Amino acid sequence: MNSHKLASDAVDQTPQQVLETAFDQHDAVAISFSGAEDVVLIDMACNLSDAIAVFCLDTGRLHPETYQFIEKVRDFYGIDIDVIFPEAESVASLVKEKGLFSFYEEGHAECCSIRKIEPLRKYLTEMDAWITGQRRDQSPTRSFVAQMQDDLAFSTAEKTMKKYNPLANWSSAQVWQYIRDNDVPYNKLHDRGFRSIGCEPCTRSTAPNQHEREGRWWWEEATRRECGLHVVVKDE
Amino acid sequence: MKITFVKKILVDGNPCPKCADVEKKLRQSGNIDRIDEVLIADVRDPDSAGMQLANDLQVTRAPFFVVERDGDVEVFTVYFKFVKQVLGGKTNSTEEAAELLNDNPDLDYI
Repeated sequence: MNSHKLASDAVDQTPQQVLETAFDQHDAVAISFSGAEDVVLIDMACNLSDAIAVFCLDTGRLHPETYQFIEKVRDFYGIDIDVIFPEAESVASLVKEKGLFSFYEEGHAECCSIRKIEPLRKYLTEMDAWITGQRRDQSPTRSFVAQMQDDLAFSTAEKTMKKYNPLANWSSAQVWQYIRDNDVPYNKLHDRGFRSIGCEPCTRSTAPNQHEREGRWWWEEATRRECGLHVVVKDE
Repeated sequence: MKITFVKKILVDGNPCPKCADVEKKLRQSGNIDRIDEVLIADVRDPDSAGMQLANDLQVTRAPFFVVERDGDVEVFTVYFKFVKQVLGGKTNSTEEAAELLNDNPDLDYI
C-alpha cells in the first residue's frame, strides 16, 4: 500500500490551517526546505510560531545559488536550519564504483537514494511528523498528494510518521502570487527560468509551455516504471 | 510457517526488474531456500496464480511475500521489512533507501 493513498479526510484547508494542525499535534515536527519556492512554508510558519524546526538536505550537488539562498533565508527569518548530509561512506562507495555522473547512464534513483533518502530517513527517526512543499501539480507521481497523511515510508512498527503537505492543493501560480504579495525572498535561479530546483546536474531551466517536471531528469521518462499489479489486455 | 513469493511478469513478457532484483538478493543471501512457493503474477493473465492471490489478498504491488503462520496471513510488499521481520536477516541502509524511493517515487522530488 502506498503512503500517498492514505489521505486523511481533512482536505481543502488553507496551508496555514494545515500548518497550525501540524504544530498543534506534534512537538517533533520539522519543515523540509529544498531551497526553492517551498520557502513560502517558512514564511507562513514564522507567522504562526516562534519556534519552528527547518531542515535542508544538502546533497553536495546543489547550485551555488541554492546554498546562497539557504543562507539568505536563515538570516531573513532569523531561524536555525538543520542542514543534513548524506553518509560519506555511501557517497564515496557510489562515486568510486560508478563515478560522479552515473545518473545520466543508469537513472537517478541510486544517487537520490544515497544523497537524499538515506539521510532523510535517518533525520526523520527523531521526528513524529514532517512538513513538505509537495503539490499535486508538480508531477504525475504527486497527483494523489494529500494535505495530511500517514507516511508509511518512514513509519516503523513503533511509530506512525505523519506527513503534512500544506501546499498540496495550491498551484504554482498561487505559490508565486503569495511570494509576490508578501515580499518573500526566493532563489535567484527562478529568474533564469528554473521552475523546479534540485541538484545542479539534474536540473535545467524550462520554457513557459513546459511542465516543471521537464526541468528535472529530462533524459528519463516522464513517469517512472511502476510496480502496480493491473491486468493488461493486449489487443489481438 | 509457509512463505510465498509472488513476482510479476510485465506486459511485454519480461520479468519486472524489481522482482528480478529481489529474487537475485534472495539467491545471493541463500534465503531463496526459505521460500516455499514462487508464484507468477502475469499482468496479461488475470487467471495466473500470482494475480489471483494478489486479488484475493487485495495486494496492488509486486513483488510481494505472503507469510502464513499459526493461522495468520501477513503480506509484505517491502522487501527489507520482510527480510528483517520474517527471516531475521540484515539489510544495509543504502539498500533500504533505494527500496523506499522505488516504492515512493515522489520522494526524489524533494
